[in-house]
Amino acid sequence: MPFSFFNPWFWLGALAIGAPIWLHLRRRRETNLLRFSALRFLDDNPEPRRSPMRLRDVLLFAARALALLLVVAGFAWPYLPAVNRVPIRESRVYVLDNTMSHQANDGFVKDRQRVLSEISAAGRDVQVAVVELAATPRVIVAFGDDRETARQRVEQTLPSHQRGSYLAAFRQANSLLANSLGEHKRLIFLGDNQENQWHENVNTPPFLRDVEVEIPKPEAQVLPNLSLSEPRVQRIFLGDKSLINFTVKLSRVGQPENANIILRANGQVIFNRAVELAKQPESMMLQAQWEADPMLWLKGDVTVEGADVLPADNKVFFSLPPVVEGKVALLAQSPYLRLALSRDIMRGQWDARILDPAKLTAETDAGKDADVLCLESNYLQSSEARKLLWRYLSNGRGVILFVNRVTPTINGYLRELGFESEGAVRTPAGNSEKFQFILFNHPVFHPFLSPDYGNLTDIRVSQYYRLRASEAMPLIFGERGEGLFFQGGKSAGKLFVAAFGMERDQTSWPVHQTFIPFLDLALQTARAEDPTPTTFEPGEMSIIQLPASLNAREVVLHDERGEIARARLEQGKAQLRLPDMPGLYTLTCDQNDRVEKVFSVNPSPKESQLTYADSGDALKLWRMNPAEVAKTKPSSARTQVRVAGVLQQRLWWWMVLGGLAMLLAEMTLAAAARRAA
Amino acid sequence: MLDTKTLSERFEPKVLAALEGLDLKARYVMEGFLNGLHDSPFHGFSVEFSDYRNYQPGDDLRHLDWRLYARNDRLCIKRYMQETNVRFYVLCDTSASMNYRGATAWSSKFECAKILAAALTWFLLRQNDAAGMVSLGKESETPEYIRPSQRPSQFGLMLRHLEALRPAGGACLSQLLQHAARLVHRRSVILFLSDLLEPSEDVALGFKQLRFQGHEVMIFQVLDPDELEFPFTEAKIFEDLETGARRIVAPQMAREKYLSRFRAFMAEYENLFRQLEMPHCVVRTDSNPWEALARFLAERKRMH
Repeated sequence: MPFSFFNPWFWLGALAIGAPIWLHLRRRRETNLLRFSALRFLDDNPEPRRSPMRLRDVLLFAARALALLLVVAGFAWPYLPAVNRVPIRESRVYVLDNTMSHQANDGFVKDRQRVLSEISAAGRDVQVAVVELAATPRVIVAFGDDRETARQRVEQTLPSHQRGSYLAAFRQANSLLANSLGEHKRLIFLGDNQENQWHENVNTPPFLRDVEVEIPKPEAQVLPNLSLSEPRVQRIFLGDKSLINFTVKLSRVGQPENANIILRANGQVIFNRAVELAKQPESMMLQAQWEADPMLWLKGDVTVEGADVLPADNKVFFSLPPVVEGKVALLAQSPYLRLALSRDIMRGQWDARILDPAKLTAETDAGKDADVLCLESNYLQSSEARKLLWRYLSNGRGVILFVNRVTPTINGYLRELGFESEGAVRTPAGNSEKFQFILFNHPVFHPFLSPDYGNLTDIRVSQYYRLRASEAMPLIFGERGEGLFFQGGKSAGKLFVAAFGMERDQTSWPVHQTFIPFLDLALQTARAEDPTPTTFEPGEMSIIQLPASLNAREVVLHDERGEIARARLEQGKAQLRLPDMPGLYTLTCDQNDRVEKVFSVNPSPKESQLTYADSGDALKLWRMNPAEVAKTKPSSARTQVRVAGVLQQRLWWWMVLGGLAMLLAEMTLAAAARRAA
Repeated sequence: MLDTKTLSERFEPKVLAALEGLDLKARYVMEGFLNGLHDSPFHGFSVEFSDYRNYQPGDDLRHLDWRLYARNDRLCIKRYMQETNVRFYVLCDTSASMNYRGATAWSSKFECAKILAAALTWFLLRQNDAAGMVSLGKESETPEYIRPSQRPSQFGLMLRHLEALRPAGGACLSQLLQHAARLVHRRSVILFLSDLLEPSEDVALGFKQLRFQGHEVMIFQVLDPDELEFPFTEAKIFEDLETGARRIVAPQMAREKYLSRFRAFMAEYENLFRQLEMPHCVVRTDSNPWEALARFLAERKRMH
């Protein structure tokens, strides 16, 4: 870096040297000064022949001299040629992939061993740093660390279940190299070359400059693996029964032909069976139902046992909170809806309140909003009903709207909600439309993948309104391709819109066996969600939100063996990093044993995709254009080297610190001496 | 008459320093002094019996001589002669050199001068003398003048003014004297408190002017023992309090010359005051202040 008075380092250094010395000298002069009233009688007195600054306190003098020496030496250190006598030939950064996928075939252990041996073998003219590729890339060995420390730190690094980003790790390594002293900069990537990693983040601005990247070739294109992912658990009520509907995705890559699947919930084995995979697709959804107490937390796991190279992804965990009775406000004439939501049917799940259309003003003013409002569109003729609906949506509450009638007024209001009616469709008797396509991935319809709850495609619709939705997602289509059930996306609260009313002359759904489960699931989905999810990835940082009424100071995270983490709870929120190990973790408050939440930590499904590829285009895109490098090279490269050199000299900092400490000691000593005098 | 040993024993610089406010300090000094002088400090000195006159209705019965009445059966009122009704002015030097306080002194020169001034004021007012003050304000161009008065409240006024004074700036004596000569018209006694560390030629004119106007001037020269004896041993940087000029001084080498010069300086002033018939009293800041007061009283006796 060329010397310049505009350089902030210069001013900082000058201040650091000048301020203590100025203070010191100023104080010294003060101590030897006598303010006298009769100096006029001394005007022509002869100057003393010897210095008045006689050395009286050797200790004080030594402290001063040492302080000055240390400060000067400290600032001069990075520029002394003798210190940097060994030129740094190479700066090398290892990116050690510690994501779960790299556990396959002991890839991580082998690479860790390689790093250890290369650290030992590296000469004095090679700087070495190691970046661990995990959820958040971190520098486990810095350039300034000695070899023994570096070895210890690498040895202490254990395989993790996290998913990290190649790009983030490369950026971290690049910033280390940018501040390194070596003439030759190398980045050695020790990872498994997962295909999905290279395909992610391709569209990033180039950042690798003057760095030689070494990436080992993948040993295989694909490795055989069995994995479980996407566990999904829902509670469905059928009559008096509370059923758990559970699905999990089983993925198979490569050769495994048989697997044993074990499902456990609340300490019981629900399912334990061998499955033949040979003729099955590579990815399949496994589903199970069982009865469970709705008042208890559901905690369980699924394991697949089979021949594969990555056992870490063979188990997934799941949890489900106990049922909390919800409140429904009903503004509908349909006897089916009234019956379905009555206490006899929905006891313990939903408490329905039938609104009086004549008293909607009072209802609006009272502000006793339920969790979900269920209403028929003919009530939207009333402005009070429209206000009520809008208030529910604005307050983040759910609304299920059955469009059984459309007038110009109602149509105008539907337009505000993002829908537009294009007229009614009436099919002749005996020729009613069936549900043709259903989005089974949606939580409302996901359990209906199982035939146990009835077949939705049997439902017929004889009269409906053709709704054009610009900002809503159709979830059910009829045979003519018209959307029949929608989820709105415009409002804060969740809005479900059925293009028909729940009357027998419009649809057969109210008498179909799926009606009650559907209504329950739709209400559950429409209800405001718990803001804290219960499923996390290993090492993920989470904001946990608990009811503001909860009077607690701390949240405590436990695993099976006991407490593992603690975080302060402020205004009902706490920040917590989830553990690295997959499993089930319970959250309690303070010393209380009551379980507030149960978290399931499962590895990312992407880590189970053991398909490998060359870095290919990704690395080309990450590299800076050589012409661009050349343009910026002369000034910036030199800057980086020198600043890095200065900053990385630990001794430099210690000397400056020592000098300042000595100055402080000297001042204390001088003050004590003066007091004693 | 003056038992100095007793006074010295009685004077405690620590007590004086611990007292809060100039008022208390002045009283401590004066009452200590008067206690040493008489058994009853407030009688027999300022008020002296003169003669009798016949009682007339309306006279204060306190002044009736009951003994005479018992002996002669005559009602007579005692008449007292007011010793003085002179106006006193206090002039206090506020140059920065007055701020000096040596290692052995019980206070700075300025503090000592203020205590003396306050004590003298208190004493004079007790005798029904009128006391006033002339001093230099913050900007030495403008004088601050307190009209002499015998009222008891005058003491408080003088004290407040004295407490507000701060030593600062350079030579100011000639200015102060000139202001006094301009402001004091009637024949008065001027109590001048200063270290006089200014060339005598500059100050002499002011003193002469006052003297020729008929005023009596009493000089209290407040000096620190360091100035009188120059007891320093270590070489130091000496900084002038008034000018800020600095000099490295080796005291062993400079002491002799300093003392000879200082003596010459004092001799010059003594000659001047002798010529002008002005009582001159040196007050050391390491000794008790009664010595100065005794000197003052002796001079006052002499004047009357």
